[in-house]
Amino acid sequence: MAHQAHAYHMVDPSPWPLTGAVSALLMTSGLAIWMHFHSTTLMSLGLVLLLLTMYQWWRDIIREGTFQGHHTPPVQKGLRYGMILFITSEVFFFLGFFWAFYHSSLAPTPELGGCWPPTGITTLNPFEVPLLNTAVLLASGVTVTWAHHSIMEGQRKQALQSLALTILLGFYFTALQAMEYYEAPFTIADGVYGSTFFVATGFHGLHVIIGSTFLTVCLLRQMLHHFTSEHHFGFEAAAWYWHFVDVVWLFLYISIYWWGS
Amino acid sequence: MADRLSSGALSCSGLCRSGVRTKFGIPTDEEQATGLERRTLQALKQGKDPYSILKPKQYTGTKADPHIVPSIGNKRLVGCLCEEDNTAIVWFWLHEGEPQRCPECGSHYKLVHHELPH
Repeated sequence: MAHQAHAYHMVDPSPWPLTGAVSALLMTSGLAIWMHFHSTTLMSLGLVLLLLTMYQWWRDIIREGTFQGHHTPPVQKGLRYGMILFITSEVFFFLGFFWAFYHSSLAPTPELGGCWPPTGITTLNPFEVPLLNTAVLLASGVTVTWAHHSIMEGQRKQALQSLALTILLGFYFTALQAMEYYEAPFTIADGVYGSTFFVATGFHGLHVIIGSTFLTVCLLRQMLHHFTSEHHFGFEAAAWYWHFVDVVWLFLYISIYWWGS
Repeated sequence: MADRLSSGALSCSGLCRSGVRTKFGIPTDEEQATGLERRTLQALKQGKDPYSILKPKQYTGTKADPHIVPSIGNKRLVGCLCEEDNTAIVWFWLHEGEPQRCPECGSHYKLVHHELPH
């Protein structure tokens, strides 16, 4: 019997990296086609292929780890490093938008009236919905930690309840933010204020949706008994991502909503 | 799910078996780990490390205390760092039987058979 004498996972050949790369090509060229020829077909095709790639690739990882036992302690360690490095790269992504915001707001140009917020901009009251949003995300950080402890202590019902509550709070944030976007007295086209506000909060909102999706997958997996009280890295990765999303919001709230108002 | 919960609660009300049991509906690795992960965890629990996860034990490398090199076959490549911080590694095949010495620094190495759990 030819068994490996090491604890690492030599992955079987897979088509998903190729389909992922093809979808990236279709989405980018599709974006150019949309801008020049008004057709969204290519880009939509790329998006569908991307969604299929993500679904099947991550499904395969779950099969390899949970059902086939390939995720030994060293493999798990590698996955942890991977998630940490990915979140770090996302931190730098947001750092760029904060840089843009501070660049424009610390030394406002004469075109803006030499002041921040610029002349003519009615900012949102930071102590209304934005403060509620802050409370919602902070609470969701508590519930996700509750869920983690429940899993570690073997408490199935509590784990399901606290994880579901976390996801509901995430949806509540998204709904509130969507309403804020609809009701806002300024748009993305309103100078550098509008640009920095909507790009920074917009990407944050996208990350909330991504994080909520990740947590929902964890909820489904927990319902299907995938996690053990010792080994539940998928959940830990989702929780790390969720805390990251929460921290980004805190910086957004302090910088753009509060100081910037 | 109610059955699992009640049976879990019943069997835990008295003595828990050695190892850990599902307490309130979430399984433990003992119950659910499978494949290579299960084999590594079971071996580590018995103090064995067939998949070389942990750092190898330190030996002095003398004739009385040779470096023990586990192997699944009857020979294994050894790379000797004769002194700490050396950049040139001395590579040689270590065969089963009599301990061999590093051609450069003379440290003793002995091949020991090592079965993989399966």
